[in-house]
Amino acid sequence: MGIKKASGILLTFLLLFTLAACGGGNNAANNGAKTTNNAGKQDSSAPDTSKFVKVSYVVLGDKPKNGQFEKVLAKVNEIMKEKINAELEWKWVEWADWQTKYNLLLASGEAVDLITIGTDWLDTWANAQRGAFMNMDELLPKYAPETWKSIPEEDWNESRYNGKIVLIPENDYTQWVNHGFFYRGDWAKEAGLSEPIKNWEEIGQYLQYIKDNKPDVIPWDMASGAVTWGGYIQSYTDNLDLPISTGYMPVFTAQSNDEKYTVAEPIFSDLFLDYAKLMKEWADKGFWREDALNNKNDNRIALKAGLSGLDQHHTQTFSTLRVEMDKAQPGSELQMFPFNRTGGKNLMELSITHGGTSLGAHSKNPERALMAYDLIRNNEEIYHLINYGIEGVQYEIKDGKRTLPANYNEASDSFYADFWGGRMDKFEIPSETVWSEIGTLYDEYDKIKIPYPYGQFVFDKTPVESELTAISQVAGELGPAINFGKVSDPAKAVEEFRAKIKTAGYDKVKAELQKQLDAFKQKMEAAQ
Amino acid sequence: MDETFVSAHKKTDASGLVVRWIGYLFIGFFALCCLLPFLLVLGTSFTSESAIKLSGFNFWPKEFSTFAYKIVFENPDLIIGSYIVTIVMTIVGTTVGLLLVAMTGYALQRPDFMYRNKISFFIYFTTLFSGGLVPFYLLITQYLHLKDNYLAVLLPGLLSPFLIIMMKSFVRSIPHAITESAKIDGAGDFTIFLRLILPMTTPALATIGLFIALGYWNEWYNSMLFLSPDMKYRTLQLFLYNVITSADFVRNSAAASNVQLRDVPLESMKMATAVVATGPVILFYPFVQRYFIKGITVGAVKG
Repeated sequence: MGIKKASGILLTFLLLFTLAACGGGNNAANNGAKTTNNAGKQDSSAPDTSKFVKVSYVVLGDKPKNGQFEKVLAKVNEIMKEKINAELEWKWVEWADWQTKYNLLLASGEAVDLITIGTDWLDTWANAQRGAFMNMDELLPKYAPETWKSIPEEDWNESRYNGKIVLIPENDYTQWVNHGFFYRGDWAKEAGLSEPIKNWEEIGQYLQYIKDNKPDVIPWDMASGAVTWGGYIQSYTDNLDLPISTGYMPVFTAQSNDEKYTVAEPIFSDLFLDYAKLMKEWADKGFWREDALNNKNDNRIALKAGLSGLDQHHTQTFSTLRVEMDKAQPGSELQMFPFNRTGGKNLMELSITHGGTSLGAHSKNPERALMAYDLIRNNEEIYHLINYGIEGVQYEIKDGKRTLPANYNEASDSFYADFWGGRMDKFEIPSETVWSEIGTLYDEYDKIKIPYPYGQFVFDKTPVESELTAISQVAGELGPAINFGKVSDPAKAVEEFRAKIKTAGYDKVKAELQKQLDAFKQKMEAAQ
Repeated sequence: MDETFVSAHKKTDASGLVVRWIGYLFIGFFALCCLLPFLLVLGTSFTSESAIKLSGFNFWPKEFSTFAYKIVFENPDLIIGSYIVTIVMTIVGTTVGLLLVAMTGYALQRPDFMYRNKISFFIYFTTLFSGGLVPFYLLITQYLHLKDNYLAVLLPGLLSPFLIIMMKSFVRSIPHAITESAKIDGAGDFTIFLRLILPMTTPALATIGLFIALGYWNEWYNSMLFLSPDMKYRTLQLFLYNVITSADFVRNSAAASNVQLRDVPLESMKMATAVVATGPVILFYPFVQRYFIKGITVGAVKG
């Protein structure tokens, strides 16, 4: 009986393994067939569009429910039909557990054509490694010629996996997500700070002024989630953010743009102590609530209500918040102090592969899909339809700006397509909800910005997974008290933090990170 | 009957009254503990978002607002459709599931069923080792082709190994002699199962039915995986989950992608969806309560 049972189990396992193996083999065969197929099609000259096809485009977001999207897409498809005899089908991956669903979609081998990607938030390189995307080197020049020409070679280099282009980057769209403090210009002026604020001392003066002169206002009504340690690093070092998460606080950075492959240790420099002392000072002066650590309020709502004088987020948020503030608190002249302004050497552009589009490995019509993409990206009419909707229904242009039409009704007329796979600055129409003078800030950025160097760097955390978890744990446990100045002795707290993080395996992670950065450096230098 | 009741009542008159009042007090307090959070949810769902931000959750709305419900019910036909889907799914799933679980459990317990141990092992094995998410997804979408089909949600919930094991251990308490004697009297297997076994397992059926029904009522994961937005009506919980997540997303990350912002009352909306999701169950509960109590008691005794 015992032997029988054991053999039964063995059989089951065998069966499982063969099944798994079969699946793998199948896939490989499929891929092989695909590539030869492509090569074969390459030879015919003009793109053959005699057969009508449907091209699917997978985007992230919840499908709009008011029927407007279908109307807009119908208009887009009229043009698509006429130009390339194809039709777009928008497929949505909803925000309900999108990480799982998005990766499952790619892993299942479903025949998706175009799909939104993001190297920093959608696991694009890992998916490329699993063979989820089709190589586009041969297809692009022929079927997406305008896109092919408009993207410079170095941007294509950012889009290669193993030397093959697997994605089309969103390289022509300005997005700034560098963080900074938002402060009220009117109060800063009253406080005698007329120049734009350039450092944390002036922020401190500003908060002190509010504390002394605005009895009903909490100078900075920050909530439990706020962390400024990363901002402090940006202000007072040339360190660069690395794409490695250590939970509550950044623990590893890169030295500087000149030494971008060298790991720096901000936690172990004097900087951390300075920061802890400053936060303690600010907390003692009462710049935020006693119970800030448990504060679940929304700082931004307090700011708009005139009950707080400071907020902290990125430039994109600021660009719309300024308009809202002008309405909610007229004359408040909300300003932004970007953390990178102080040093000015570490303002990284957003990775051009933060958004983008890939071709699914099992796409049935790769040629037509790329032709459709070329149109979305380079045909102004289609671009405006997909990004803004129908003129007169979703938007009107007044003085060169997008505004809402008079009879616009949010519930029945709102429209969005969640197209983040190749937006273009040249087709963007400025919106009324974005501060008109945001350009001045962009100009300032343009002078100091550096290209994002880690677009193709993916930290493989498997060798140090448990250490990373332990470090995140320490950061989450001891970090908040330091960040909120809720420690009796900053020096002691910093020492404790350092000791615990060492015990958690800091050195091992650092060594591994450095090792992988070295390898990345070699790869990047070889590519040049 | 009447007399004993009266005499019993008289006996408890003195000390019993104290006990009874302590009991009332205790139960009253306990009921309040259960009721208050729900009232808080109800109150908050009718409070305007700004009032929540400024003064926190309240039993009585400081600034009365139905905005949260307005957003949840923005498309009434969608929410009604989702309700119907979930209700139908729960009724069909529970009926069919109960029948299947009971049959499997009974069959696996019949001593004259030759391969019962081997088959039990196969069922048991899946509770220890599962194929994982990707094979499951592939099975449903690529082999069974059930994507965008309600069956993709209905089928996986019908038979759960855990419930089969539960049923099996319950049926074990029914002597096999009953089956044998019925057989001698000329009853077929189905007659035995339907006429003799099922009535004897009512308490177990109530418990298991409750599990299955709650499972279907709260189902959102499979529907999230397999029912794409192309389907107009999906399950209620997924619908509500989407309302919340999209509101959350609009508030948190939309700024990053320069999507037009829209004011959404997140906190009160969470509460409103909770009310919408629990509402019908609460209305339904008094009618089936007595079965629940029986089933749960038996479940407790039987483990």
